[in-house]
Amino acid sequence: MTDSLETISHDLNIKTEVIPLGWTAALSRAPQVTITSENFKAERPKVVSLTCGGPKIGVKSFVFPEAPAWLQALEKKAPPKKDASADEPAGEEEKPRKPKAKRVTHIRPPGDVIKLEDRLYYLLQPSLESLVTSGAMEFPFEPFPYQFEGIAFLYPRHAAVMADEMGLGKTMQSISTMRMLLRAGEIRSVLLVCPKPLVSNWKREFNLWAPEIPISVIEGDSAKRSWLWRDNQTPVKIANYELLMRDQDIVGEDGGLHFDLVVLDEAQRIKNTSSTTAEIATKIPRTRSWALTGTPIENSTDDLVGVFEFLAPGLLTKGMNIKAMSSTAGEYIIRRTKDLVMTDMPPRLYRDAELHLSPAQQEAYEIAEKEGIVRLEDMGQELTVQHVFELVLRLKQICNFDPLTGESAKMDQLKADLEEVAASGKKAILFSQWTRTIQEIRKHVEPFGPLEYHGKVPHKQREGVIDQFKNDPSKHVILMSYGAGSVGLNLQFCEYVFLFDRWWNPAIEDQAINRAHRIGAAGAVTISRYLAVGTIEDRINKVLEEKRELFNTLFSDTGEPKKVGFSKDEIFGLFDLRSPKGPIRFAA
Amino acid sequence: MSNRNEKSVPTLGFLTVVEHTPGGLFGGLLVLNLAGRPLEFHCTAPVKANRAQEILYGPTLKPYLYGEQIGGALLAKLKTPALAVCTDSEHVLSLRDHIDIPVALIPPSCAEEAVTAEATSTYRDEPAQLAVALPHVRSFQLGGYEVAVSDQHETDQTTLEAMWQERSIDLDLNEPFTRIREAIEEAHGVGK
Repeated sequence: MTDSLETISHDLNIKTEVIPLGWTAALSRAPQVTITSENFKAERPKVVSLTCGGPKIGVKSFVFPEAPAWLQALEKKAPPKKDASADEPAGEEEKPRKPKAKRVTHIRPPGDVIKLEDRLYYLLQPSLESLVTSGAMEFPFEPFPYQFEGIAFLYPRHAAVMADEMGLGKTMQSISTMRMLLRAGEIRSVLLVCPKPLVSNWKREFNLWAPEIPISVIEGDSAKRSWLWRDNQTPVKIANYELLMRDQDIVGEDGGLHFDLVVLDEAQRIKNTSSTTAEIATKIPRTRSWALTGTPIENSTDDLVGVFEFLAPGLLTKGMNIKAMSSTAGEYIIRRTKDLVMTDMPPRLYRDAELHLSPAQQEAYEIAEKEGIVRLEDMGQELTVQHVFELVLRLKQICNFDPLTGESAKMDQLKADLEEVAASGKKAILFSQWTRTIQEIRKHVEPFGPLEYHGKVPHKQREGVIDQFKNDPSKHVILMSYGAGSVGLNLQFCEYVFLFDRWWNPAIEDQAINRAHRIGAAGAVTISRYLAVGTIEDRINKVLEEKRELFNTLFSDTGEPKKVGFSKDEIFGLFDLRSPKGPIRFAA
Repeated sequence: MSNRNEKSVPTLGFLTVVEHTPGGLFGGLLVLNLAGRPLEFHCTAPVKANRAQEILYGPTLKPYLYGEQIGGALLAKLKTPALAVCTDSEHVLSLRDHIDIPVALIPPSCAEEAVTAEATSTYRDEPAQLAVALPHVRSFQLGGYEVAVSDQHETDQTTLEAMWQERSIDLDLNEPFTRIREAIEEAHGVGK
């Protein structure tokens, strides 16, 4: 049973009709699109460029000459000196070098070197100490720092005064500088002029401090000397002042010789510009000029002018203001005193023995002075400085010994002093102005093994005398004259110096004292200055003190000196005499 | 004085830079033969960084000025090639990036300081401290001195050691810098 399915039909065909409304055309038209543009791109930024490289750097260049080939070979050959740590057993790890705090001395160019290249050449040289430590130059003893400074001072200078106090090693400093200049090839010929007694000393010092530098001593007859002067195989020639005078035709301007360096030892010899020695020395053709002297001023500043006529003629003039002279000459002079540089050096102990004349001496003195003054006064206008000198010398001799009896207050004191010296096994030097006094003293001090060293002792014997004094323990005293014994001798084993009478200027006395008080001195040096009170010696002593002050003033750049040299009035003033003429100066 | 045979002389360069206010930086290069004698000296005009350099180089400004600029300008003037360059300024080590020879840093010695500038006691006790403390260097012993090279050029150590041994170099490596400073002072009126 199936139900019948009833179906209903619906017509889905809905009649549509287009009604023309006028829109049809509009519908067939493409829609109109309006475009609006927006610019998203920003403006191009401005760029600022910075230069990071900077401008080109300017460079100044200097090229220096290499040392001569032979020196390079020497430098290569020199074994480098090792520190103590370098000798440690092999296998131990090498430890970092711990440098010790050390002084470094560089050569400094003098003010008259103008070119920067030349100044840098000197400044950039290795330190002088490094020459020693590297083994490039061997020294028998390591120089003291002040000696390195002295070498650094001399090395670049064409004109220089080395005016160190006696005993500080002027000889060593000048030899070492010559050696360095020769080895650097900066000089090839040197002439060293010294007093005759010092020639052997210089020879010895050259052998010690510059053993590889050949030297020749100008000596012998005229033909031999002529050959020696012209021999160009030895770079260093040593001549004495006397020979210089004899051979002035050879060493003068027309002799055909030229030296790269001329060194004058004891240059106070040329302080008097009108002396023959000074005239000859200034005419030696040369490039460099050095003067060595412990006493650039002995009497007055004119002495220094004389030395500078050799070094730099015209730089100093007589009568120049002392401050102007000090500043002008300062660049050329190096002077150090023991007090300044050798702080560890034993002291100088002065002991002024003020003695009263013996009765006989006193009587002789008074008579001589009274008569002498009367005689001088009677001379009126005829009176000269020379006459006063004669009286001074006469009175000084009486202060030493009574001419009739031979009595001597000084001698009594000396004998007592020498007893003490000999008992302690020490040695002493005694200085006097006169050989006759020395010979008289000798008679009284025979127990002390006296030796003599003065102008009457032949030059050939002098070295033997010094050797004997040094090595013979029975010889406790050497009797010296100021003239022969005051320069160039090394007697630092003596601890006592006696000035039996006083010299005219303190510089000579200092030189004498410094025979004993110099490098190597074992202990304090006691200086006994014998002075007869109430006599001419007292009065001279006052003038000496004033002179000492003058010297200190010029070389310390401070203050003004009280007196400049001995004036004629001062000499006459010793006896309350009036000077008949104007002031004069004289050399001691 | 003889002329130098330029080909036969082995040399070492010592380079330092001195700072001077307000002058600027002054570079100095000293060329020594192996015995310590001077053969050449070159020094710069005063050098000052401009503002841009100061900003842009930042912490690398000193190595740039000391090494590339000053060191480069000085080395360019060498008349004879040096075996190596020694310097007492770490900033100069950067020069090595621009040249073909080793650059060794030599720390200032306590001895030199003691003499010239009164070094502090701490520094005196530790002379090699500077070389060891720098992070970008390699320290080693050379001829008894504590020296250093840039760690960018480590092989320089071997090169320098061989050089010192072969030529038995025994120079004081600190002292030449004193000379350079004195020379700069002489040339320019500065340096200390």
